[in-house]
Amino acid sequence: MTRTPDSRRNNGSASHAEVTASASDSQSGFVGNTLMGLMPFAVGIVLASLLHFVLPHVIPGRAGPYYSRIVTDIGIAIIMAVSLNIVNGMTGQFSIGHAGFMTLGGYMAAFMSYYGSMYLWGSAETHGGFLGTGELLFVMSCISGGLLAAGAGYVVGLPSLRLRGDYLAIVTLGFGEIIRVILQQTGKVIDNAQALKTGGLSQMIPPPVGGALGFDDVPKYTNLFWVYTILTVTLVVAYRLKRSGLGRAMISVREDEIAAQAMGVNIARQKVLAFVIAAFFAGVAGGLFAHERGVILSPKDAGFQRSFDYVIMTVLGGRGSITGVMLAAGLLTALPEFLREFEQYRLIVYALLLIIMMLVRPQGLLGIHEIWDLWPRRRSTSLPSSTVATSATSSPEAR
Amino acid sequence: MTKPPAITTAEKKTATGSEALLDINSIGISFGGLKAVQNFSLQLPAAGLFGLIGPNGAGKTTIFNLLTGVYEPDSGEIHLASRRLFNCRPHEITAAGIARTFQNIRLFPDLSVLDNVRLAGQLHNRHGLLSTLLRTRGYRFEEHLLQERAFNLLEIFDLQDRAHELASNLSYGHQRKLEIVRALATNPQVLLLDEPAAGLNPQEKKLLALSIQQIRDRFQVAVLLIEHDMPLVMEICEQIIVLDHGMTICRGTPREVQNDERVIAAYLGSGLSDG
Repeated sequence: MTRTPDSRRNNGSASHAEVTASASDSQSGFVGNTLMGLMPFAVGIVLASLLHFVLPHVIPGRAGPYYSRIVTDIGIAIIMAVSLNIVNGMTGQFSIGHAGFMTLGGYMAAFMSYYGSMYLWGSAETHGGFLGTGELLFVMSCISGGLLAAGAGYVVGLPSLRLRGDYLAIVTLGFGEIIRVILQQTGKVIDNAQALKTGGLSQMIPPPVGGALGFDDVPKYTNLFWVYTILTVTLVVAYRLKRSGLGRAMISVREDEIAAQAMGVNIARQKVLAFVIAAFFAGVAGGLFAHERGVILSPKDAGFQRSFDYVIMTVLGGRGSITGVMLAAGLLTALPEFLREFEQYRLIVYALLLIIMMLVRPQGLLGIHEIWDLWPRRRSTSLPSSTVATSATSSPEAR
Repeated sequence: MTKPPAITTAEKKTATGSEALLDINSIGISFGGLKAVQNFSLQLPAAGLFGLIGPNGAGKTTIFNLLTGVYEPDSGEIHLASRRLFNCRPHEITAAGIARTFQNIRLFPDLSVLDNVRLAGQLHNRHGLLSTLLRTRGYRFEEHLLQERAFNLLEIFDLQDRAHELASNLSYGHQRKLEIVRALATNPQVLLLDEPAAGLNPQEKKLLALSIQQIRDRFQVAVLLIEHDMPLVMEICEQIIVLDHGMTICRGTPREVQNDERVIAAYLGSGLSDG
């Protein structure tokens, strides 16, 4: 790793610097381009707020919260499935411990927001309104949950450098189970602000997050706005990654590791990067899940059953297809709600669904394609050439 | 380990004027008791076109694997442009300037032809995760330049019309060609071709012979060629090294090699001449 390439790297960056310099002289659309880069986020936030404020009014009465809950669940499931797809679909590493990252992040986030609220405001109730201080604490907690999960993702990513296929799957499966067992050994939740403030640091070992009983009374901050804002970030990141050089490198690892190495791809770096990014979003999704109304965070969430749900979504959606996985995640989350009466048959239906898929459409719903690839006319415009067209036209002398 | 000093193009020329670009000094490797390659040496000058031949199992591809970091040699040294390649992983060797093709085609089947080339071309790109996700201006320029270079390469090899097709949808001949394009996209100093003519028809072989020479002239790369097709090797190679059972049994011009008794013995067996 210390020996990095020589002359041509220097030459390459030199010519690159020239190009950017000559471009900046002429380029007046720079601000516009930067804004364009942030555009998808803005659109996503607007849509998320629309969903947040409009949905409860469209479905009035007692059914409102019920449908909000389903839509929230769908959002979280999509975040999980799309992030898992970065590892399983794009990079081709078979991970079945995604719920482990989710639960780890969820506990971290819940720990921060619960004890943070206790410490700051004396109780674990929600605090402040929409975008208030309470929600700020909640978002910070989710992000720290994501960071902790990303760290765990780095650790789990390391064996993937030596293990392949089934063996790696067993390691990731083991990771989820380890998280579950560790969380079962944690201490009792401290529900008294006075005790918390006087107790000192020793009461934090082991972390008081409820043990096998689960972490109750986490403030319920999760709402449609935050779920769909974070979903937007996840989708933009996944899509841009897929279309970028890093994404190409990840896909090349999936396609043929030996050829990828021979073409200069640092496969170790790509694999670990995929695990870290995926684990980060799983951790954030765990934070959203932990603060959702009606959820009691419990160690069994880290178990393999939940992990399998997400694996099924990615398999059903198609490897590497973001829209396909979204579709599958939405379907598989909403369907059980509408088949409530047959709930005990859910796993049988899953198994049958998978078998049918394997026979009829082994590549998943959309295969390697995105949903817009299905219209042949739009295909030419959706090719990556269009993404660089703007920078090309604004700086003709760069050619 | 200190970083080697950067070599400018001007220096590179003077450096290669005096000595070989790729200097392989008696490398060897054994797998258990099998000595796959012993004492293999080769001085490949800049823009040289050398052939590596030998019967099946002679160790030709093993030498390629040693050169590209797939295996680490048990003994000997490899220098590229006066810089020792030691304990390098494959992607580092590619970055240093040795690119290869594969005997059995190893394209990325589910990536487009363009993406196959872009992937190989991006190894010197410097933009990381953050600029990728924010799509900064520098990142977009880099991608734009990359795309342009990839298209240029595809045009040279007359593949530009297939750029947006999946690599797996190309014909066999085109896949072989794309392998070479992809290797060239890494901007190598040394190009290792592992049986590029395998499975091609006589017409395609003729074109290949021509294009290998053109590649050498146009891209100023040194080429080391493994090939079983003798007419092709004899026609285009300046020097030929013959391997048998991991040992170098002969080296010289095509004419010298053709008339060498050991070579004939290795290929046809020595029973008759002995008797």
